[in-house]
Amino acid sequence: MNKLKKSLALIATLAIASTAFYACGDSSSTADTSSSTPDSSSSEEASEESSEESSEESSEESSEATASAENKVAETGDKLSLLCWTGDDVEKMIENFTDANPDYAGKVEYVNVGSSGGEAREQYANYFAGDEDVDLFVLEADWILDYINNDEYTAPLADLGFTEADFDGCYDYTVSIGTDKNGVLKAASWQSTPGGYVYRTDLAEEYLGAKTPDEMQEFVKDWDTFTATAKKLQDDGHKIAMADTLGGMWQVWQYNRSNAWLDADNKLIVDDYCKTYADLAKEYYENGYVTKEDQWSDGWYAIGQDDSTMGYFFCTWCLGKGSMLSNAEGGEGGKTFGKYNITAGPSGWAWGGSWLALSPKCDNGQIAHDFINYFTVDASTAKDYALFKSEFVNNPTAMKEIVDEGSNKNDLLGGQDQFSVLYESAANIDMDGKITAFDSQIKDAFNTAVTKYAKGDIASYDDMITEFKKEAAKIEGITVE
Amino acid sequence: MATAAQRRIKSVSYAKYGYMFILPFFVVYFIFSFWPLIQTFILAFSENGTRTPGIIGLDNFKTILAKPAESDFKAMGIHESFWNGMKNTLIIWFGNFIPQIALSLLLAVWFTDLRVKMPGKGFFKVVMYMPNIITAASVAGLFLSLFGDSSYSVINTLLRSGQEPWKIITSCWPSRILVMFIQVWMWFGNTMIMLMSGIQGINESLFEAAEIDGANSTQTFWRITFPLLKTIMVYTLLTSMIGGLQMFDIPYMLHTGNVVNDYIKTVAVFIYEMFHGNFAKPSFGYSGAASVILFVITSILGALVFYVQRDKDAIEKKKKQKQAAKEWKRKQKGGGFSI
Repeated sequence: MNKLKKSLALIATLAIASTAFYACGDSSSTADTSSSTPDSSSSEEASEESSEESSEESSEESSEATASAENKVAETGDKLSLLCWTGDDVEKMIENFTDANPDYAGKVEYVNVGSSGGEAREQYANYFAGDEDVDLFVLEADWILDYINNDEYTAPLADLGFTEADFDGCYDYTVSIGTDKNGVLKAASWQSTPGGYVYRTDLAEEYLGAKTPDEMQEFVKDWDTFTATAKKLQDDGHKIAMADTLGGMWQVWQYNRSNAWLDADNKLIVDDYCKTYADLAKEYYENGYVTKEDQWSDGWYAIGQDDSTMGYFFCTWCLGKGSMLSNAEGGEGGKTFGKYNITAGPSGWAWGGSWLALSPKCDNGQIAHDFINYFTVDASTAKDYALFKSEFVNNPTAMKEIVDEGSNKNDLLGGQDQFSVLYESAANIDMDGKITAFDSQIKDAFNTAVTKYAKGDIASYDDMITEFKKEAAKIEGITVE
Repeated sequence: MATAAQRRIKSVSYAKYGYMFILPFFVVYFIFSFWPLIQTFILAFSENGTRTPGIIGLDNFKTILAKPAESDFKAMGIHESFWNGMKNTLIIWFGNFIPQIALSLLLAVWFTDLRVKMPGKGFFKVVMYMPNIITAASVAGLFLSLFGDSSYSVINTLLRSGQEPWKIITSCWPSRILVMFIQVWMWFGNTMIMLMSGIQGINESLFEAAEIDGANSTQTFWRITFPLLKTIMVYTLLTSMIGGLQMFDIPYMLHTGNVVNDYIKTVAVFIYEMFHGNFAKPSFGYSGAASVILFVITSILGALVFYVQRDKDAIEKKKKQKQAAKEWKRKQKGGGFSI
């Protein structure tokens, strides 16, 4: 009896302990300070192994292969796993893709990894190292360089049988950003991201007398005019800002900066342009030319419905169904639904963009090839998707056709075709050499400092720059002088 | 004379079962707690900017502790944000612990007082403990929508409509006071329950005797409750201090956008940001060093609390006992071979 009791107790204890093992093992993959190092070293080993394996495989296969344009990635997996941190784009893409290719219905899966780009990066590491199926994953302009320059993370698109000529139809800058430092094409973008100024049509007519986007453009054609218009609105006694947030304004300004944040030696570049912007931001903030809300907060959307701002700086991916503009209008049937129009704004600009990259672990070569082909190479299917999602696709030919046909009507913009406004500025986008691997952090540091300066928490511009430099210098891998 | 069987029974030890039962815990502890702990110490002496750091010695501590040259932005940034974190941690901890213990003590005394016959005691206890059950993320979200910077937050809609919104979350003292308040609100129920159990552990006859002797509530509190509650108070102080120095969740989450508010950034947030903020090149070294510094500070403060609160009578008694024992031994020796 006693023995039975004892052994029962022992079994129970072991059972509990084993659950503890299970739980801990699981959570250790999401890593805290101390445990992340052994984890990461093992993860690197694992990914090295996997890359070795895949290179072995590919070398075996390449000996069999004759032409370079052959898909070297085997089709052994059941499903194409597509990793991203938001379903906004990816779910729509999968829907559109499987509608057009019924054979692939149910064979493409969106795997959610976190709720922001930062979180996604952390989870990518776990996915790359673990046993999970990873075929394609999405990279953001702010940190794409870290990935395409690392062969453990990304495989050349040539493995899928693509040649560089296949992407001739894309915007050049998207191809050069997707090419690593050795000239190997690693990632392809399905979108181009020109931006404009999205404004309230009813208020523009009431306050400024502007009836059409072209008339409105006269009030916002450059920054001096933009400021003058903002001043006029305030002088007329309207409590309305012209720009949505300081964060939104900086996106426009950042794009037009002639320098990247870092030079070739990863040294931080702070130029006069930063001062010009900081002073403008302060002027705007103090005079109410820009709202005092934070970008990406609830208030950012709320100002779109209660006459607090004349408009937003939005780019292409802010204008589709379920996007930022939709939120700012309060959704379908919202207070300002369809009461916006888009115009080019004070300066041409573009904001971010996303790229599809191929994992060395990919085991669905055929679907992966067809998927990338569908959204980036093939002009006719890209056009389909452009109309499906109201997306500015990475294919000037397709976009030109849509603009010429006038077949795109965006309900959020009261039926206006945003592509016709943005088509021209898309042709001028040149982001090559303007992005660095550290952009998201540097941008955050700069915007925080500028906001403090505008608010008056930091007294002078010099103090602001010192604070910005100290913050940026904390980022390992860049130098600040 | 004992038989062989009897002798065997005498020597049967049940200790091995005890060891067997606690073994799983220790195995789990060593793998998931002890080794990471050692690893943290190793990381404190390791280089930054890589996921497989090598040892570089004391440089991380030097950067964090010693004031670097004004022109060295990197060292300056790390040095300043660590000390800013330290300052914030201490300010927020003091501002939260003192009101919290006062409030909890008051409520605990009321709830346990024999003379106060409050109806619905259980209900109040549950309600006061409730904030502790809500996850910190929800609490942060709640307070952001109540006290947020946006002109659409509750406080700005009610009190500042049509005017410049109050920027509580991004201003220095308002944000700190808000965090203190949240911490008090979240934890006073917990502390109260702990103090109540401490008070209930005091022999009831003492309170009765005091009542018969005509002591009023104040006298009872200061002469009986408070002195006898000391041990529990020390325990509360200690746990609160350890928890307070590691305060992370609310300060980290109480912001909109991507950037954590500088005025409420604690050391724990600094540690987290150093190894986590820069994905490609994490600064494990600075994180480790800051963790070790925090560990040392916690140890010192803990030891200090124990030293101040030590039982002086017991120590005195022990000393006397020891002396007596020595004396006795000496006598034994001096007495030679007496029988």
